[in-house]
Amino acid sequence: MIRFEQVSKRYPGGNQALSGVSFEIEAGSLVFLTGHSGAGKSTLLRLVMMLERPTHGQVLIDGQSLNHMPDKQAPSVRREIGMIFQDHKLLFDKTVGDNVALPLLIAGLRYREIRKRVRAALDKVGLLEKEKAWPLALSGGEQQRVGIARAMVAMPPMLLADEPTGNLDPDLSWELFGLFRELSEAGVTVLIASHDLSLVKRMGARVLVLSDGVLIDDIPARSGGAAF
Amino acid sequence: MALRAARRRFRAWARRHSYSFFSSLGTLLQHRLGTLMTVLVLGIAILLPLGLYVSLKNMDRLDVRQEDWSAISVFIPGTMAAAEVEALAEAARDRPDVQSVSVISPEQGMAEFREVSGFGQSLETLDENPLPWVVTVLPAEVDTRGSTATLSLRIQSLMDFLERDERVESVQFDYKWLQRLGRFLDLGRATVLVLGLLFGVAVIVVVANTIRLDVAARADEIEIFALVGASHAFIRQPFLYSGFWYGLMGGVLAVLMMWLALFYLSIPLKRLLDVYGQGFEIYSLSPVQLIILLLSSGLLGWLGAFLSVQRYLRMLVVGGSLGRR
Ligand SMILES: Nc1ncnc2c1ncn2[C@@H]1O[C@H](COP(=O)(O)OP(=O)(O)O)[C@@H](O)[C@H]1O
Ligand SMILES: [Mg+2]
Repeated sequence: MIRFEQVSKRYPGGNQALSGVSFEIEAGSLVFLTGHSGAGKSTLLRLVMMLERPTHGQVLIDGQSLNHMPDKQAPSVRREIGMIFQDHKLLFDKTVGDNVALPLLIAGLRYREIRKRVRAALDKVGLLEKEKAWPLALSGGEQQRVGIARAMVAMPPMLLADEPTGNLDPDLSWELFGLFRELSEAGVTVLIASHDLSLVKRMGARVLVLSDGVLIDDIPARSGGAAF
Repeated sequence: MALRAARRRFRAWARRHSYSFFSSLGTLLQHRLGTLMTVLVLGIAILLPLGLYVSLKNMDRLDVRQEDWSAISVFIPGTMAAAEVEALAEAARDRPDVQSVSVISPEQGMAEFREVSGFGQSLETLDENPLPWVVTVLPAEVDTRGSTATLSLRIQSLMDFLERDERVESVQFDYKWLQRLGRFLDLGRATVLVLGLLFGVAVIVVVANTIRLDVAARADEIEIFALVGASHAFIRQPFLYSGFWYGLMGGVLAVLMMWLALFYLSIPLKRLLDVYGQGFEIYSLSPVQLIILLLSSGLLGWLGAFLSVQRYLRMLVVGGSLGRR
């Protein structure tokens, strides 16, 4: 599904964010990405989203190298990915429901279909009654869940999350990780960047560990996974 | 099968467009004051060439009544005997370069003047009629396109003939004035073209600037749209619609202002022209011209928006600033 081949990324400022990173993630698996702050986690996710281009090496999705894709095709790549951002990236002048509807609007779905799917996605994150609310009236954790609902609503085959538990208390974080596991069991490829090492270890899923842009460890999933 | 897929794609495309359409209207209504200001500026920019064009069109129609202007007026003292005047008129009629001759006696002149001016009573008190005889000589086949020089040559012998007659007090020929008007109109038409181009560019620039500010104000929104996979076309669309609305509303405002001005001017203008006995309809834009004007205003707005948004989106891609904090 996702494959990194000797990927290096150096930002124009001279920061070497990633150095020779290689790994492969199977379709439908749940993988965590950890490392200290500044280790290169966000950069790695941004490369998959085509928000950045690698300096060396290549990123492949479904066997297709993103290097060969022009910028014009980036939107269609992004539509196959549900992305959850640390700072939520919600539109504050639109209701929760309209925020979640965004990917479906872009896909050009029928209004009734959009409403149905939006409600289903909000239900999944426990925010069904907030459909008509404004994002600013929500707590940080609730806003994060709106972002998650938006990432899932178009049922993309791949879900990326950058520090999705940054604003959540441990209980909610644990619940959220459970949701990610469910999604991966339903066939969605899930890649989550998180520096919350203890929580990640409790999940028992595969963990990629970055340090100063180098992939220093690749811990395979414990058989049976975590006990909930 | 392929047809079905195509139809589905078309429907998705149509739904995306209807979304852009309504969201662009929503944005304009949300910022009513700003929208109003922009539309006002656009309306004035469009009104300038439009107003000049319509004014010229109205003057043009005066030009068409050239026989009224190309007549030679011959003035003979009011004391002259009617037979003498008739003899002169007859002599003029016999010339090959004369089309027609009419005579207005001082009495007829007075009667007409009374009727038109409404000074009926007070004029009764005048003991003698101060008006001259007026003999109107219409030259044969005056070619208005000729230059002043050739025209004078052609008409010169007729003028000489009339002026040499000792009964005649003065001869007046307004053709030069008419020709000057014609040149003035030519200049006006060229000015309309230049103004039209200049203010067309002004419309593009005003809309481009408004949309630029609009885009900058919504940079976060654009970023989020791009992050969830919106294509450039989708991001661009609402702004293009906005540009079209701006241009269209500017055009509508310009037309309304023009109608208002024409309505305001129509009353005194009609009164003035009635005095001269000319049935005169004020010229305004025809329905087809109206549609062309409004559409091209809208398209200029669209173009301004396109140039503005295109530049910003290119920056977004080249700079790669998407999603960066
Ligand atoms: N846009 C950028 N321009 C220059 N340097 C950057 C940029 N984004 C990140 N970096 C640098 O790249 C390194 C990795 O950053 P990042 O991928 O955000 O790490 P993490 O998400 O693991 O905290 C850091 O040293 C950071 O300062
Ligand atoms: Mg980060």
